[in-house]
Amino acid sequence: MSTATADSATFEERMPDQLSRGQALWGVIKRKPLGLASAALIGLLVFTAIFANVLAPYHPLAAYPEKRLAPPSWEHPFGTDDIGRDVLSRVIHGSRISLWVGLLAVGIGTFAGTIIGLLSGYWEGWLDLGLQRAMDALMAIPGLILALAIVSVLTPSTTNAMLAIAVVIVPGNSRIVRGAVLSTKQNPYVEAAQALGCRHLRIIAKHILPNVTAPILIIASIWLGNAILIEASLSFLGLGTQPPTPSWGLMLSSTGRAFMEQAPWLAIFPGLAISLAVLGFNLFGDTLRDAWDPKLRRRG
Amino acid sequence: MHKYIIRRLLLAIPVLLLASLIVFGLMRVMPGDALTALMAESGNVSERELQKLRKDLGLDLPYYEQYLIWLWQMVSLDPGYSIFTGEPIPVALKKAIPVTIELALSAMILGLLIAIPVGVLSATRQDKPSDYVGRLVAISGLSLPDFWLGTLVITFAAIWFGWIPPLGYVSLWESPWTNLQQFLLPAAVLGFRLSAATMRMTRSTLLEVLREDYVRTAWAKGVGERMIIYKHALKNALIPVVTIVGGQLGTLLAGTVIVETIFALPGMGRLTVEAILFRDYPIVQTNVMLVAGTLVTLNLLVDLTYAWLDPRIRYQ
Amino acid sequence: MPADAHSQQAARQHVNRREFLTRTGWGSLWMTGFLVGVGRSRAFAHPPSPYPSWVPPSDKPPKRGGILTRASAWDPPVLDPRLTNSVGLFQIATLTYNRLLRYPFADEAKNNADLTLKGDLAEAWEGSADFKTWTFKLRQGVKWHNVPPVNARELVANDVKYCYEAYAKEGVQSFTFQEIDGMETPDRHTIRIHLKSPNTMFPQNVAEAVAVIFPREVLEEDGDLKKRMIGTGPFILKEFQRKVRTVLVRNPDYFDTGFPYIDEYRILSTPDAATRLAAFRTGQSDILGLQSLADVATLLRTNPTAVVQENTTVLTPFGLTLRMDKPPFNDVRVRRAMSMAIDRQKQVDTLYEGHAILGWGIPYFYWTDERPTAADLGPYWQYRPEEAKRLLAEAGYANGFETTLFYYEYFPQMTSQIQLVQQDLKRNLNIELKITKQDYTTYFGRYAEGNWEGTAWGFQTGYAVSLDERTYQYIHSKAPKNYFRVNDPMIDELATTLRQTADRAEQRAITKKIVEREHDQVLRMWMPFDAGFQIWQPHLRNIGQLDLRGNFGYGSSTLARLWIDK
Repeated sequence: MSTATADSATFEERMPDQLSRGQALWGVIKRKPLGLASAALIGLLVFTAIFANVLAPYHPLAAYPEKRLAPPSWEHPFGTDDIGRDVLSRVIHGSRISLWVGLLAVGIGTFAGTIIGLLSGYWEGWLDLGLQRAMDALMAIPGLILALAIVSVLTPSTTNAMLAIAVVIVPGNSRIVRGAVLSTKQNPYVEAAQALGCRHLRIIAKHILPNVTAPILIIASIWLGNAILIEASLSFLGLGTQPPTPSWGLMLSSTGRAFMEQAPWLAIFPGLAISLAVLGFNLFGDTLRDAWDPKLRRRG
Repeated sequence: MHKYIIRRLLLAIPVLLLASLIVFGLMRVMPGDALTALMAESGNVSERELQKLRKDLGLDLPYYEQYLIWLWQMVSLDPGYSIFTGEPIPVALKKAIPVTIELALSAMILGLLIAIPVGVLSATRQDKPSDYVGRLVAISGLSLPDFWLGTLVITFAAIWFGWIPPLGYVSLWESPWTNLQQFLLPAAVLGFRLSAATMRMTRSTLLEVLREDYVRTAWAKGVGERMIIYKHALKNALIPVVTIVGGQLGTLLAGTVIVETIFALPGMGRLTVEAILFRDYPIVQTNVMLVAGTLVTLNLLVDLTYAWLDPRIRYQ
Repeated sequence: MPADAHSQQAARQHVNRREFLTRTGWGSLWMTGFLVGVGRSRAFAHPPSPYPSWVPPSDKPPKRGGILTRASAWDPPVLDPRLTNSVGLFQIATLTYNRLLRYPFADEAKNNADLTLKGDLAEAWEGSADFKTWTFKLRQGVKWHNVPPVNARELVANDVKYCYEAYAKEGVQSFTFQEIDGMETPDRHTIRIHLKSPNTMFPQNVAEAVAVIFPREVLEEDGDLKKRMIGTGPFILKEFQRKVRTVLVRNPDYFDTGFPYIDEYRILSTPDAATRLAAFRTGQSDILGLQSLADVATLLRTNPTAVVQENTTVLTPFGLTLRMDKPPFNDVRVRRAMSMAIDRQKQVDTLYEGHAILGWGIPYFYWTDERPTAADLGPYWQYRPEEAKRLLAEAGYANGFETTLFYYEYFPQMTSQIQLVQQDLKRNLNIELKITKQDYTTYFGRYAEGNWEGTAWGFQTGYAVSLDERTYQYIHSKAPKNYFRVNDPMIDELATTLRQTADRAEQRAITKKIVEREHDQVLRMWMPFDAGFQIWQPHLRNIGQLDLRGNFGYGSSTLARLWIDK
């Protein structure tokens, strides 16, 4: 909640001879194994989500209760769950849910946060004061509690869980964007553009946004992982995804816990999926930072 | 400096008011009524009795009146009673707050004890195996939901060691040894998660600072590595870490409901969440305002620390 | 059932048996169902289980002393017995208070099905010939707890009168006690209760766990019963910390001399199931409830000496509730079709490993000797998807329809069960059931107040043993606890007649008719249920528990006779 952020300070200059963003990123990925690993993980997640229908051997909702709680086998590589559904198929389809949860929650939250941060930072004055106080008020309420309250109001579902998480993301995001906008605004060419009478929108689009996208994307990539975890916690409290939806969080918090000793595969595979996805997103965020943070680039 | 402090204090008031409105509004918009929870498992209640109860609890007044009454209660430090239990809220808070403070502090301490050394190691040995190991350990802390970690811990403690923390919370003053046993595991579970974020921040800011000119100068002059790290680099690197830790406080003050549930600790997390689920409006409102007030105050202190450390900020 | 008894019974009610059967259409279909059921059903007469349903009392001489501990899932919402029936309160209240009548203790009962009424605060009771007046003779020398404001004064008839009037005036038990027309106390130890209409089962109602006798002084001083729990019971409340622990200590002046054996009973609030299991494994908890055979097997691997008792499942508390006053569920064909499209036996065989009942609402021992098999439950309780499809098409929904279902997850198997039901309905009838899992308050609020559309996973309250409560109070169209919104004139008539019938055999016959009617019209679509298992540390004695009277829930009063062999 402070007015100084480490991130905003690092992006005030654009180095005149820098590589394009994409090239810088690709360079880091090639060089650093963790960067490569994270890109691969995310790629795997996206691929699985898109081609879930083809990849999954069974329908994720098809229950064969006679085969319930079967340990992993050739027929069912990840075993079957409490009503005999194929866990592998559910984990595969779960990638769709997780990606959807992540993208929607973080997408909306980041978008809204960016707009607010831009407005706040660019125009300052009363608008800034008011908006930031509202953001402070939202941030003063602990995240899980806020998400819980919102989902309770909206009735529990995957979509509403995402909306709740988006609301939790907005204030922090707006703060970072605002910080980046504030420091970018101090650049001479921005002042020059304003003096020349360029339209605000043009200034924002051409000069401010590019400097702001880097921190946004870095934070967003980390929040993608967090969103999955918050959805899992909401499911544990009974207010997230509804059965029979194959969300990893629901699988882990309900049947995973209930059958922990009798059928550990019910928790191991969704848990592994969550961990790998969060791992992927977090490492990718690190990689982005390594690639786009000018101060770090000096070294390589 | 004084102007800065006063300005920040004044700004805090609308923040708290807005937060109170948000919470009040959310609670009232939720479906289901405090009375329903009260009548749970009974339901044998006639309309007449429901009306009487509603009146007794002040739930039949228009919303803005309820809000103003509650606001006045907050300001005059007399928050009223829980709808569900009829207990005065200060009594409930007096029991829950020490639990949360102890849990938060011990989790933060454990988290820092893990995070800082691992972060320093990672940063100074960047891209070497120890860096990777450190980062992977940290990330696994970030990527496991705490209900899962907590369940694993309590189940396998019982199976492998035949021991779980003694149930039935006792305060530190009543019985220090039992109390410490009760908080060890939950603090470790929470701390592990916190340490991940802190460790990553320590690593990245330390990496930045280690490339600063004054650090390079010290290298060139032949100052020992340890001296450089602890005397020069760490102090500056820790500033953003303080922010992160401050941010984690929000989670620790009311977001620990899951760990509290699994380890049967009666803290603010359970109090608040269960109050939300039972629509116990006074408790939710009071608790959230308490936490919000604490967070705002803490952030003010953090900002003051920044301003003291970095004079540039004072004049923004 | 013998034809003579049945027709005598029918004759008395001025309804001829043949007329009865014809009117309900039951006769022909019943026989068909029976034949079909016998051929295809895989029902067990008794669900198999390697664990006994009764643990006889030990013949060793009981030892006094020791502390009993239990990790409990429940926290009392309020301490006031007028305001809630929650098991969280009565796990404690049944030990600090007494009722007029009670059920047998473990060292008195012949087996788990022994539900003979015994005197608690009353030592004798009788009803008038018209069953409208009940007289109870109280024990002499029963003292309230030796704490202020009662300070061990004697319990008198006026105390009971005061309580019952208080219950009738406000709170969740008002319906039961509002049938009281007036009460007199001709002397200090006699209370005579006049009812507005005859009720042969009134004694069972006052024996319910929730009908506790509390002192007038506390209510008058405090204005409510939320702050103090003072009674006549075997235990005195020494410490109560919400969400932490409850400590009960022996009442030295308890009227039932010699009891309780244990010094102290500690209840530790432990909301998480995994933690309760861990507590039992490490010896911190002496009692544990488990839901499935597999759970018990897992526990026995680490604790092979634990004593396991099977809870006899005599009824199911859960079923599919439909808005029967609106289309499409107001059409009995739709209800019958849905009931026949759901494979209950498969749920029993798979989810419950064979150890569950198919589902009926009234404790079976009230209407039959042996646990009912599928055949006994009527044609619409059989899994006949083709017939179901045909019937639904006949009702005009050949392409199925969409509807919703909301529920609260009382235990994990319930979610599994609901998803199987969802799949059955979709596959067999093309009925799309959209499920919503809710938190307790939202679920209970919507369910109890009836402001929902479509369907719900409904329940009937858990504590009642009384036949009157299980029939009249739950399915009479005017009863407040009629959550299933049953509105059937025949049921109303049968339930009212039941209250006026004293003869045991006749009661059974009428109850059986109620069940048959219920199943014929699918008024409450009961679903399979397994009452689970009770696990004890091996050093506990006198732990046998009766049907419907879980020893650490509503039936906690039996803990007064438990002893610790250490």
